[in-house]
Amino acid sequence: MRRQQLLPYLFLAPALGLLIVFNLVPTIATLVESTFIMSLRSGHRVFAGFANYERIFNDPIFWKSFQVTVVFSLLVNPIQIALALALALLINQKLPGIGIFRSIYLLPIAVSLNVTAIVWGLMLDQNSGMVNGILTQLGFARQPFLHSVDQALWSIILIASWIGVPLWSLFILAGLQNISPTVLEAAKIDGANAWQSFSKITLPLLRRVLAFVLVADTVANFLMFAPILLLTQGGPRLSTNLIMYETYRRGFIYGDLGASSAMLTVMLLIVFLIIGLELYLLRGAE
Amino acid sequence: MQKKAALLLVLLLLLAAAPGLAQDVTTLTWLTLDWPVDAIIEEFEARNPDIKIEAEQIGFNDLFAQIQVRLGAGSAVPDVIAVDVPLVSGYAFRNWLLPLDPVFTGDEVEDWLPAAVNAGSYEGTLYAAPISTSTQLLFYNKACFDRAGLMPPGADDRLTWEEIAEIAQAMTFDDDGDGTPDVWGFIWEQMVRIYQLQALPESLGGAAIGDDGLEVDGVINSEEWIEAYTYYYNMFNVWNAAPQGEEFWPADIFETGNICMFVGGPWNIPRFANNADLQIEWGVSRHPYFADGEPATPTGSWHIGVNANTENVEAATRFVHFISTGEGAELWWRKGSGDFPAQQSVLALFATEQEFDELPMSYMRTAADEATVNPRPRAVTVGFLEYEQILQNTFQDIRNGADVEESLNLAVQRISSEMAKYR
Repeated sequence: MRRQQLLPYLFLAPALGLLIVFNLVPTIATLVESTFIMSLRSGHRVFAGFANYERIFNDPIFWKSFQVTVVFSLLVNPIQIALALALALLINQKLPGIGIFRSIYLLPIAVSLNVTAIVWGLMLDQNSGMVNGILTQLGFARQPFLHSVDQALWSIILIASWIGVPLWSLFILAGLQNISPTVLEAAKIDGANAWQSFSKITLPLLRRVLAFVLVADTVANFLMFAPILLLTQGGPRLSTNLIMYETYRRGFIYGDLGASSAMLTVMLLIVFLIIGLELYLLRGAE
Repeated sequence: MQKKAALLLVLLLLLAAAPGLAQDVTTLTWLTLDWPVDAIIEEFEARNPDIKIEAEQIGFNDLFAQIQVRLGAGSAVPDVIAVDVPLVSGYAFRNWLLPLDPVFTGDEVEDWLPAAVNAGSYEGTLYAAPISTSTQLLFYNKACFDRAGLMPPGADDRLTWEEIAEIAQAMTFDDDGDGTPDVWGFIWEQMVRIYQLQALPESLGGAAIGDDGLEVDGVINSEEWIEAYTYYYNMFNVWNAAPQGEEFWPADIFETGNICMFVGGPWNIPRFANNADLQIEWGVSRHPYFADGEPATPTGSWHIGVNANTENVEAATRFVHFISTGEGAELWWRKGSGDFPAQQSVLALFATEQEFDELPMSYMRTAADEATVNPRPRAVTVGFLEYEQILQNTFQDIRNGADVEESLNLAVQRISSEMAKYR
């Protein structure tokens, strides 16, 4: 009996160990570091309580970056999830050759975010990019994309969604295929039209999957970093300065680990709050 | 007794062998730019068989972050680092560099250009020894002038920025008619770096930073700065005489004939002179200035410093001494970075060496003289890294069409945020 109780933990141990080493320990280290200030002159770490937090809360650049992150999140998450849901419904159709389409739509997932970002960066280039080549062929003016205050954040949303939409649609597709066709058939016999069966049956039954997708997508986008580092470095004029990049800049370019850790801790709290709220809103009547 | 004698003999033998055994080879790590380092390392190792140098070479863009992360963490490696001069005070302020005063004799210090010694010192102590210095010239492609029906300037002429604007527009050509020029009139070699761009407001009488070395409000958003960077903005956005987009290295494109003029360092002279495949005919003239201002030419030196936490102080200082003085310095100039030497004894070689008697290498003499005309070093501030990085973002934004005044005001806000921690 005892051995049987131990066995699951034994199997979980390697994963737990990695989680502790790569997630829990750095998190605690960040919390601790956020209460220290490195004396610039002596190089000694001095306990500073909440001084780093005070510093970042009084820092307009932190708030600007916070604002960009909120705007980005409010745009990118609904866009990605709506498109992912639409794509999942589309490739859930039982048509001849649908497997080929599914594979094509899922291809972007097979390429890493870094490579995707760099390739999109080349394609969106103002002077020699493919996208501008097509635009000028069609008689439109060249667009600055990543170099424009108004277009850069949208360009990042596009790049993030290029991978995000197919990735999340894969999860939703799995959820769709879990819905028993008999339920939908019954609704059809009862006279429900397509919209009614989607909104009253499919969507409620997808609740759990959507809850997961919403939480995971929100966190992934909140922590968006690589495309910013590779393409815009937060610019132009801080218009893509997502908070994760600002954190990196403070810690690793300016060497201000205290402020960087304080920002990370604030982000962690916000992520927890968002997840809690989303799970609360999507809780099923079970 | 015999036993004792045998033991003694063994001991003596061991002692005799000891220097050989004890003379472990010390390996130094030298974090440096992607300069040609083989010749200097080879010569140093030949003279110092007990030391081996491993050069860790990285690009200009990554060097500063690398130093920041590694020295900031208190690492003992790298032992020796290349130091861009405006960062000396920041590194010294943080106690990252070993004071070098005991390493050099008075004569050796006197041989360095006084500006370079000052720049390598912080609060009166030398922290980084100068290994090179720099100046800027205008490089141009003669064919562009012919095509535009203009006369190229002579090596000792100094064009105004206003003239540059006119000429650059006349020499921008869209040959295939796709709306994007194929031959551009002008570019700055370091198109978004304060090193080169600071000369613009300075020619108009602007300053680089406040007197306390921290204040930027009223300085980098002053009238002079706004006027200077409106000129810069116009070059890219209004006159369309210079290419926008990502940063690139103009010399590559100058060699293919797609850039007609650029302001750049004398390191381009040997590069173009030694390029046997180069098709274009080129020339240089003095660094431009604003008509109602005064000439101001960028300068900055490269230095070499010792990590304060190194475990190999003696070996590291020996290498630093070698490369920054005497024969080592001359070798570094001849076969190393190719930059301007910071030692007056080596600088004097420009006047006497036959190599510089004829064109185009004689342009080096033009450069040597230009280095003495109102040279303007970068701001001295402990927060130079933040200052540099934020202004780089700002220039990149302006270059790609952002409003000049708004961008400079945002830079004030950002730099002030970062400087707060040094107050």
